[in-house]
Amino acid sequence: MFRKLTREPLIHFLGGALLVFGFFWATGTNRDPADYAINVGDSDIARLKATWVQNFRRAPTQDELDSLIDQEIAEEIYYREALRLGLDKNDPVIRRRLYTKMRFIDGEETANADPSDAVLQEWMDKYPNKYALKPLYDFTQIYLGQIDSADAKKRIDQMNAGIDPAKFAQSISLPATLTQASSSEISRPFGDRFAGQIEALKPGAWRGPITSGFGVHAVKLTGITPGKKAALNDVRQQVVNDWRADGQAAQKEKALSDYRAQYEITVAGRP
Amino acid sequence: MRNPLMLAVCTAALAVSGCTKIEDDGSNSGDVENTAYPEQVFWGDTHLHTDNSIDAFGFGNRLDAEAALRFARGEEVTATKGDKATLSRPLDFLVIADHSDAMGATKAIMEAPRIALLTNDFLLRWHDMMNESDEGALQVTSELIDRAAKGTLPDSLTDPEQTRERTADLWKKHGETIDRYNEPGKFTAFMGFEYTPMPDGDNLHRVVMFRDGPKDMGDTVPFPALVSQDPEKLWGYMAAYEEKTGGKVLAIPHNSNVSNGRMFAMQKFDGSPIDAAYAKIRALREPIVEVTQIKGDSESHPFLSPNDEFADYGVAGWDKCNLSCTKDMAPESYAGSYTREALKRGLELTLALGANPFKFGVIGSTDSHTSLATADENNFYGKHSGNEANNKNRALDPQNLGTRKGRFGWHYLSSGYAAVWATSNTREAIFDAMMRREVYATTGPRMQVRFFGGFDFTAEDTADIVKTGYAKGVPMGGDLNGGDGAAPKFLISAMMDPESASLDRIQVVKGWVNANGQSQETIYNVSWSDADTRKLGTDGKLAPVPNSVDLTKGTWDNATGASELMTFWQDPDFDAAQNAFYYVRVLEIPTPTWPVYDALKFNLTLPDEVIKIQQERAYSSPIWYTPAA
Repeated sequence: MFRKLTREPLIHFLGGALLVFGFFWATGTNRDPADYAINVGDSDIARLKATWVQNFRRAPTQDELDSLIDQEIAEEIYYREALRLGLDKNDPVIRRRLYTKMRFIDGEETANADPSDAVLQEWMDKYPNKYALKPLYDFTQIYLGQIDSADAKKRIDQMNAGIDPAKFAQSISLPATLTQASSSEISRPFGDRFAGQIEALKPGAWRGPITSGFGVHAVKLTGITPGKKAALNDVRQQVVNDWRADGQAAQKEKALSDYRAQYEITVAGRP
Repeated sequence: MRNPLMLAVCTAALAVSGCTKIEDDGSNSGDVENTAYPEQVFWGDTHLHTDNSIDAFGFGNRLDAEAALRFARGEEVTATKGDKATLSRPLDFLVIADHSDAMGATKAIMEAPRIALLTNDFLLRWHDMMNESDEGALQVTSELIDRAAKGTLPDSLTDPEQTRERTADLWKKHGETIDRYNEPGKFTAFMGFEYTPMPDGDNLHRVVMFRDGPKDMGDTVPFPALVSQDPEKLWGYMAAYEEKTGGKVLAIPHNSNVSNGRMFAMQKFDGSPIDAAYAKIRALREPIVEVTQIKGDSESHPFLSPNDEFADYGVAGWDKCNLSCTKDMAPESYAGSYTREALKRGLELTLALGANPFKFGVIGSTDSHTSLATADENNFYGKHSGNEANNKNRALDPQNLGTRKGRFGWHYLSSGYAAVWATSNTREAIFDAMMRREVYATTGPRMQVRFFGGFDFTAEDTADIVKTGYAKGVPMGGDLNGGDGAAPKFLISAMMDPESASLDRIQVVKGWVNANGQSQETIYNVSWSDADTRKLGTDGKLAPVPNSVDLTKGTWDNATGASELMTFWQDPDFDAAQNAFYYVRVLEIPTPTWPVYDALKFNLTLPDEVIKIQQERAYSSPIWYTPAA
């Protein structure tokens, strides 16, 4: 029976474990020897020397080097002892530092990427409005001045009934006509409010009053060139920049949500 | 890796290497057509700080150059403090001007592996403070500014030898970002930096901007004030750059208002009197000055111009002490601090030396440290990330710059932008327009201002100001020489910003030198709203435009002002023997300041001393008259 037991691997294992525990019991410590090895190698010494040279503009003497090495050893000992005591826990500096490090690492993949045309095209197709070649407008406008809306409406009706618009036009250095102008090109002289109203106009007669920061206008829309999809090469630079910027942000968000999915999170008062 | 900071930055650079592969040719402006004369005004900010500025990062800014460029182009960006931020209208160009001193250093200290800083107790302490909390980061920044003023920063931040490698690395990466966003014809991104000398806390700062793309700049790195605080050394660096690369570069002084009289002093940096050689070099290197920005307005001061009822704009809080508030500023120093007086000094020096060191045009810019180039009162993101738009205390908090004596958040202006009459939206065209000073400043609104001078204009020429202006005269920034003794004539127009307020008036500010060699000034009201009811007094003064501001709503009535003002004007007090300059000031009708919008948003009660109503404005570059020799 005993001989059989001596050949049983489990017994060997248990026996070995007993020996290890026995050793720890006998020596009064609870340690893995590997955790207590500090090896200051050639590369570490070279680094210490380089730092010294950086600060003092000369190589350290042997004494100075020895004390640098001893300092390095002391730091490593304290570092490990601190970890053993759990001093890295609940320390806002360390916590924030590690957070920053992780966020930095998580944004890197997109920064390194060199997107293919297919990737960029796919991105463009996702945001058709953003990259579309905008509709273009042809129009004539008359500035009616800073008059109220009802007055303006009356004048516009008269213009449509055949009265010469010049009779109502107030002088201002704004273009009387624009051709093939996009909404942003219209905003430049006339402002956003005006441009927004042009987009909603029907062509044909004098329309209005159209309000701008200057006052009110009568507008006759004479042509609309519908917007169309842009080719990648027309907007490549913008697409690459947007794709990159979004990718970096999205990657960080995704990294967080992937991590988060692995946690069960409860917050007092939050359903 | 010798330097702990270097190590940190290189680690970061290593991680992103490969991002340069994306093809683009941002520097190619060849395909963009130039118009025959400047038909359009382009809007930009020449003075924006990102997280690479040592203080901006310290104040909490975590937005990089890319975010700054995207924001300026009109994209939505999440501000450091969390707001979704967008400009009401995109800008046409941007100069990111991070401080050359210790560029990127605070970022590097914070992001450095802690172990890399263990040999430097000083940096390690800062590293820990910055990582611990926003308050810690603010504290570090205050210490930084304080130490910079006292000259006691650690060598690893200030020694040019030690910082060169780090800066070169960062600058290269920055150049790649700039080129990726430079789209000739659509949006122009310039290379630039801020040179930040501050002897005893007196502001001698300059923005330096390059005409060239990063690929044509060789191994040029920004010039730190830590090498020399003497602007002549900066001009030497600029000359060497042009010599070496065949490129072009200009410098833009700013915040003369907190220079304690030193920005436009009659002496050189070393105290010796200005001579002709200095005057010529300065005029060549510094063709424009930033006259208005968040830290106040430097055009005029009531002490210098007691007869100018509009001279006090943007003065409150800024005229008490120098930049760091380490020295009080006596009114006697103001003459060297404000641009109108500098232009006058320039005339005197022209007579004395045959050269004018202060022959400059003017622009506005923000000097924002948030990476967000905002100058609209109702969309103002503050001076730095410690007072962004969602900080409800920002209007009444004491400022964190320097000491806290007498400067409060509400003293910051939501100002300004640079307006450039250029032949296309390209680096070349915009830069060249700045060199010829065909530029003007606004405090934020985008009013269009034209100003032409000549001897042959007639009153009928207002029918087509632009064409006639260029054909028969010179635009803003230009020179009128000689003539037949008749007074010069001017064509002037101003059109309101359709997204802002209508106009009160156009004024011409004239400076000249009398028979005793003393410079003088006069302000002429030349065009104003409701001219049929508002008449000039015998003293040339005009009744104020009605104030239509409703402080409970943050609104005003544009019908109280003019949409456009236009005039032909001839100097009624001209003496052909006297050197003179003329520039235009355009005033909007009264509108609310940004603290009013904050008060409405956060339901605050603003104390009486807070300025709540202002008249925003544009300043043109001057046109100079010089008598025939």
